[in-house]
Amino acid sequence: MSEAVLPMSATPVATSRAPTDWNGEAMRRRIALRYAAERRFRLLGLCAVLISAGFLAFLLISMGANGARGFMSTQIKLPVDFPRSPIMIDPAMLSTNPDQVLANANLPQVIESSAQAAFGKDGDDYISSGAVAALRKAIIADPGILTRKVTITVPASAGIDLAAKSDGSEADEAAVVKLEQARALSTGFNGGFLTSSDGTDPTVVGIWGALKGSLLTMAITLALSFPIGVFAALYLEEYAPRNRWTDIIEVSINNLAAVPSIIFGLLGLAIFLNMMHLPRSAPLVGGMTLALMTMPVIVIAGRNAIKAVPPSIRDAALGIGASPIQVVFHHVLPLALPGILTGTIIGMARALGETAPLLMIGMRAFVASPPGGITDPATVLPVQIFLWSDEVGKGFIEKTSAAIIVLLIFLLTMNSIAIYLRNKFEKKW
Amino acid sequence: MADTATTTNKMTARGVNVFYGEKQAIQNVSIDVDLENVTAFIGPSGCGKSTFLRTLNRMNDTVASARVEGRITLDGEDIYGSAMDVVQLRARVGMVFQKPNPFPKSIYENIAYGPRIHGLASGKADLDQIVEKSLRRAGLWEEVKDRLNDSGTALSGGQQQRLCIGRAIAVEPEVILMDEPCSALDPIATAKIEELILELRGNYAIVIVTHNMQQAARVSQRTAFFHLGRLVEQGPTTEIFTNPRKERTKDYITGRYG
Amino acid sequence: MTGMMIVMIIVALALIGWIVARARATRLGIEAGRLATNSRPSQHGWYVALWTALPALAFLAVWANVMPSLVLDSVLTSPAAQSLPADDFSRGAILSEAGAIASGAQTAAFNPQSMSLVEPYRAAYGRYSTIGAVLAAILAFACGAYAFSRVRPSFTARNRVERVVMWTLLLASLIAIITTAGIVASLLFESLRFFSMVNPLDFLLGLKWSPQSAAMGYGNEDAFGAVPLFWGTIFIGAIIAMIVAIPLGLMSAIYLTQYAKPRTRKWMKPMLEVLAGVPTVVYGYFAALTVAPALRNLAAGIGIPGASSESALAAGLVMGVMIIPFVSSMADDSIAAVPQSMRDGSLAMGATTSETIRRVLIPAALPGVVGGVLLAVSRAIGETMIVVMAAGLAANMTLNPFASVTTVTTQMVQLLTGDQEFDSAKTLAAFALGLVLFIVTLLLNIVALRVVKKYREAYE
Repeated sequence: MSEAVLPMSATPVATSRAPTDWNGEAMRRRIALRYAAERRFRLLGLCAVLISAGFLAFLLISMGANGARGFMSTQIKLPVDFPRSPIMIDPAMLSTNPDQVLANANLPQVIESSAQAAFGKDGDDYISSGAVAALRKAIIADPGILTRKVTITVPASAGIDLAAKSDGSEADEAAVVKLEQARALSTGFNGGFLTSSDGTDPTVVGIWGALKGSLLTMAITLALSFPIGVFAALYLEEYAPRNRWTDIIEVSINNLAAVPSIIFGLLGLAIFLNMMHLPRSAPLVGGMTLALMTMPVIVIAGRNAIKAVPPSIRDAALGIGASPIQVVFHHVLPLALPGILTGTIIGMARALGETAPLLMIGMRAFVASPPGGITDPATVLPVQIFLWSDEVGKGFIEKTSAAIIVLLIFLLTMNSIAIYLRNKFEKKW
Repeated sequence: MADTATTTNKMTARGVNVFYGEKQAIQNVSIDVDLENVTAFIGPSGCGKSTFLRTLNRMNDTVASARVEGRITLDGEDIYGSAMDVVQLRARVGMVFQKPNPFPKSIYENIAYGPRIHGLASGKADLDQIVEKSLRRAGLWEEVKDRLNDSGTALSGGQQQRLCIGRAIAVEPEVILMDEPCSALDPIATAKIEELILELRGNYAIVIVTHNMQQAARVSQRTAFFHLGRLVEQGPTTEIFTNPRKERTKDYITGRYG
Repeated sequence: MTGMMIVMIIVALALIGWIVARARATRLGIEAGRLATNSRPSQHGWYVALWTALPALAFLAVWANVMPSLVLDSVLTSPAAQSLPADDFSRGAILSEAGAIASGAQTAAFNPQSMSLVEPYRAAYGRYSTIGAVLAAILAFACGAYAFSRVRPSFTARNRVERVVMWTLLLASLIAIITTAGIVASLLFESLRFFSMVNPLDFLLGLKWSPQSAAMGYGNEDAFGAVPLFWGTIFIGAIIAMIVAIPLGLMSAIYLTQYAKPRTRKWMKPMLEVLAGVPTVVYGYFAALTVAPALRNLAAGIGIPGASSESALAAGLVMGVMIIPFVSSMADDSIAAVPQSMRDGSLAMGATTSETIRRVLIPAALPGVVGGVLLAVSRAIGETMIVVMAAGLAANMTLNPFASVTTVTTQMVQLLTGDQEFDSAKTLAAFALGLVLFIVTLLLNIVALRVVKKYREAYE
């Protein structure tokens, strides 16, 4: 090791180079630069995470802010003077067949004239079409009001609702000021949003129809995909011989898991609707289509869970004379079940949020009443969101966001259950 | 032990304890590493010799739960002190691992990696020179000079390990730590590496961890015997092997346990 | 409802068979002694139950398919059918209407003549339903009795039941093949019909897409050129979305695996996964409602021409965000697959963490990352809702990200919704687009999985 600091070049090969001068100015600077690069890189990584997280937060907050308003509705205290209103009703009939009587009682006219009497000639524009239902409910609750003048709380029209909550048209804003001066405005929880179905007036629409459609569809999906998926996973993992057929099955399942969802919609359209002539827009067909999409997810999750069961347990059971079927159904399946369930819930959550394949099989129809069964026309939550997002009425924006909140709550709950299951039953063998 | 500390000591360790979380892996080890001699760490597996080796270039920093107490110096500078830069330290104290770990790059790029990141070469020609010289020193030049662009992972195990030694040499380290460098190799490759170690002796302070006592006897001049995280005995290799002072060392060397 | 009833009856019979067979096997087993029995009593029960239910249910399934034609035959021989018109079309319309009224699916007749057929329909329907139900019940009982007669200690009920179970498992796994075949067959079949109307080359290479004009009778020649759709799909899914997703996903994965403290990682990783769990319709709504108007205002503000309220950029950006967790988890897996010794080797040379990541880990993990990106692209080009809601319908070939483009999936939705007869070139075009999409995503997946698999093998 020579003491002199030689220049860094032209040293002949295989002779010793000068030792590196780690404390020299140039090297110090270089190391400082390298550490700066290190910090920059780390910061870049942190930024990437924060941007992603920030986007999620922005999305959730904007949905939350819009959607929270969707759960609230503006109400108007409408004085109704029944004896002087154009109501056509026979109070005696009311107890026997109230629905029929009230349907013919000219209630819309009653609302209109009362509103005009109370708030001027534009008064009936302030009132939502849902007011009739409120009136009907009030009469059934207490038929005695038919003989006197009462104040009934009815939902405000979309324009007033919007103007009261945020910014509406000039005329509506003026009307809101007027109504507030008359102390006729109030805000309440919009219970109807959770109990009614699609409609054309944003103040009276609800998600119950879509929610019921989603639940029916999911029931079909689960009933089909869970047993098929679990059985297929068991077969492939425990019994399948290593041959070409098994390979084809495996390749099919892996490919199905990657096929775009809209292709499943085409399959449903071509096979279930055009070939098998099953009813259009029905939860039955939607559920079958989504089941085909969910099945590979369950098979793959199931196989991983089954694979994680140690072979020693199978050996132990076989060793005391259990048949292969008994080994699987008494030992392997129960041990793998938490993993399978986790995968199933995740697959179901994906199916619940799926929209595109259902559009293909006609579940985008306007359905104003909740489906009665699995063959009735229905829509589902994500499709309802899609349909409302296309509506021109400004009042639908907050309804769309509110529906998104409901959907996200469902998905979040399902995913939380899946994570909980995974953590609770995670076993290290 | 103080008598071993002479002026040629490159690294010294005093009262070193290493913890992994709550568990203590090294207890109160003091040792010196000098330039002239190859130092061998021997002992049964799990005795802490590799752990201790990794404290000498702070590779234990990469284990989140590891904690080092005591004082280790390189040329009198505390390597765990705030003035010591870990990047510099590792350039000065190179390391060769148990299993050959060439990067999945070409042979040339494997050697050039260190000089590049540390900015040691002044140009392409200079870098070529460093690569050739390092490969020559690692005794690999003649075998690979025509295929420097082949992947380093395409070499045989012994060649890979010599490539890794060449890679460590390329940054002109002052100390080279070798963690059982031959344990994954066949006898012929092992012989080549041992030859290489003897050639490198004198230019670098070399520390080699081995569980092969014949190897320790062949390549090292000083030997330290570790057992259960403690340094049992250290001294000239011939002395340790022919006339150990401690009973446990004797038992190990004569093969009572291992 | 009668169909449901008879199924219930068969299930009930099977349950009874299970109970009595189990009881009988238990008694015989006690008489014969423990070691003489091959199967457990409950296995005998299952054997009888399966024999009771399966043949009868299979018969019902066949009957349900045969019955409509039997009913139709008997209706046609009824006196009321003599006055039916001769041409097939109105004849079929009247018959199906009568059938619908008879089964209660329809309440009022559009065609007065069908009213007269309702009664024969209802009678024939009832008659054949009863026949089917009685036959099924007899079959269930007979098969159950046969199986019951075989219950004795030496009978190998277990092996037989287990064979049925095994077949069930095999059938379940064959569903995957059937589904794949169904997809391929339906896409191919409808696409071939489309290509008999439109030249495949015109479709694949044509530059003009205007199916509306084709539907209005201007001819098919140059209305179905899909290149603008392919371009829009690539522009949004493979370019803009990837420009967003690759850096953010890769850097997030690097930060979370290499830098973040375990505690940070523990809550940051699930948060990224939440991004993947948000339904696409929500992303689409967000893109259309919030992102697109903001981008249009931005473009207008800085004077970019052709800015549209439905832009490729809005859809691509949001799709990129959706893909982030996917890229991130693929990158995470790939980096984790690089052996620790590589990392140690680099750090031991005195490389900083970022130098190690950039010069050793990423190059070593590159095949895995590339495979992951290919999978991400395949997912992005098959994504539907975001582009349907935010990308627009104008088939432009533009490089301007603020302009509106359309994609394969958008047009598929567009072509298949609304009132159309099924065999027009317009609806069949959706299947041709679907076929292209299917093939491309399949190829991307195969290539990606190959790359990833090879890469994994390199470190095993």
